Amino acid sequence: MAKIENPLLLSLYAQWVDGILAETDNIEDANERLRELGREMGSHIYLNTEIAEKTKDTVMTREDVSKLVETIYKVLFNKKPTDIDMKTARGSVRVTDDECVWCQDVTLEGMRGFGYCEGFSGIVEAILRFKGVEAEVFQESCRATGAGSCTWNIRL
Amino acid sequence: MATDLERALSKLRFDDQVLGYSLMTKTGRPFVSFSFPDDLFPRVKDSITLYKSDLRLMTIDTEKGLVVLSPVDENWILTVLYVPELQLGLAIAKTKNVLRLLEGIELPPPPDDFEESAESNLQVLESIALEAASTASTEPVVDVTNSIENASYEPVAEVADTPAEAKTPADYNILPATIPKRGSTYSTALSLDSPLYKEMKSMYRNFGFDVLMLVDGTKSATQIADTMFQPNERVIELLKWAAGQSIVEVPEVVEVSQTADSKIGKFVKCPEFEGDISKIRGPDADIIRHCDGTKTTEEIAEAMNIPHAKVIQAIARNKKYGIKLIGKTV
Repeated sequence: MAKIENPLLLSLYAQWVDGILAETDNIEDANERLRELGREMGSHIYLNTEIAEKTKDTVMTREDVSKLVETIYKVLFNKKPTDIDMKTARGSVRVTDDECVWCQDVTLEGMRGFGYCEGFSGIVEAILRFKGVEAEVFQESCRATGAGSCTWNIRL
Repeated sequence: MATDLERALSKLRFDDQVLGYSLMTKTGRPFVSFSFPDDLFPRVKDSITLYKSDLRLMTIDTEKGLVVLSPVDENWILTVLYVPELQLGLAIAKTKNVLRLLEGIELPPPPDDFEESAESNLQVLESIALEAASTASTEPVVDVTNSIENASYEPVAEVADTPAEAKTPADYNILPATIPKRGSTYSTALSLDSPLYKEMKSMYRNFGFDVLMLVDGTKSATQIADTMFQPNERVIELLKWAAGQSIVEVPEVVEVSQTADSKIGKFVKCPEFEGDISKIRGPDADIIRHCDGTKTTEEIAEAMNIPHAKVIQAIARNKKYGIKLIGKTV
């Protein structure tokens, strides 16, 4: 049995996911509900952590976005994402995590398209908004549904 | 409106190869600028005055970099300064991408008097647009001859009037991962003299054409959007319309799996044991034998006629021997 990081977060989040899945009958709606939850968490995180002071006030470039994501990772999970890709797509920044915190030990079957970790999309979206960047963030692949890693797309 | 404009302009802001940009009036006054060097403005203005209404897309090579000028509409000119080493063709393509984003936005004419290059000008523009919207009672009438066909694409209220077999864009479920294929009327839609092309042009301008050019049966909606530097929703909206006209086909398999995927039933978690049952001691083994990935913990408790807590205890105790909780919808 793998050692779980952040068991409290994981348990709270699992409870939320269960609740949201019980109330929605559509994958897209469930994803959006999770993102909305993340956005709300985002403002708490912004107020409760050092993210605000550790990052630039205005985020202007994709490098800034990338640094901000790294800071969020450092502050929330004390680690780095596996990769942040700024080059492949012109309008987006892609964050890849091979050992995503959110879906540790979660296995989902037959739920393709569901982003278990969409909550994190909402968090990043909210924090970017505090920095003056209107971006759309969504999860592209998720380990819980069988992908090799979790990836998020930050559409600028 | 201002947010759409801001969004379009932010594409430039986030482009590494853009040094600065400015939205200028047709007389060459900078209205909204972002790190555009002041000393370049006179040169740009000269060029604008020189060409006046004949201005199409124009490039100026300066010591600071490559300046691309392009008229947005009759009142506005977008001026972008690119890094000197950028290829001319790329600079023009990038500018056109942003122009395409600006296409859908109705920009009001500039106010008579404004502070040049001020950031707050965007808000000024927005208030002008709001005022204009509240006084103007009618939308500008689009001159389309086949207005009946057009009417069927008006929102919901009109849908009832269309024949039952005609599908509306809402009938298509296109997700970002959906890969559209070319449909039976694909080539008609791309021939410039066809009514279908004209209809598409009247609704989507060149955006429709550009998206369709990228439909090749291998690219997903997201990939098309990424290539064009456009939001997914806009591409999907167009594809839905195109699917209704048989211009594109949404592949059967994807459609089927999507409807199966996007509608979900009750979410349950079923424990599944994948290990050596001989390692599990005592009465727990009986419980663990039930963990075959098809029953929830409640169902196991019921089947064995034991309290639910007992099942949870047994699973927790023996998780290390290889029990996974499989989440699924039933």
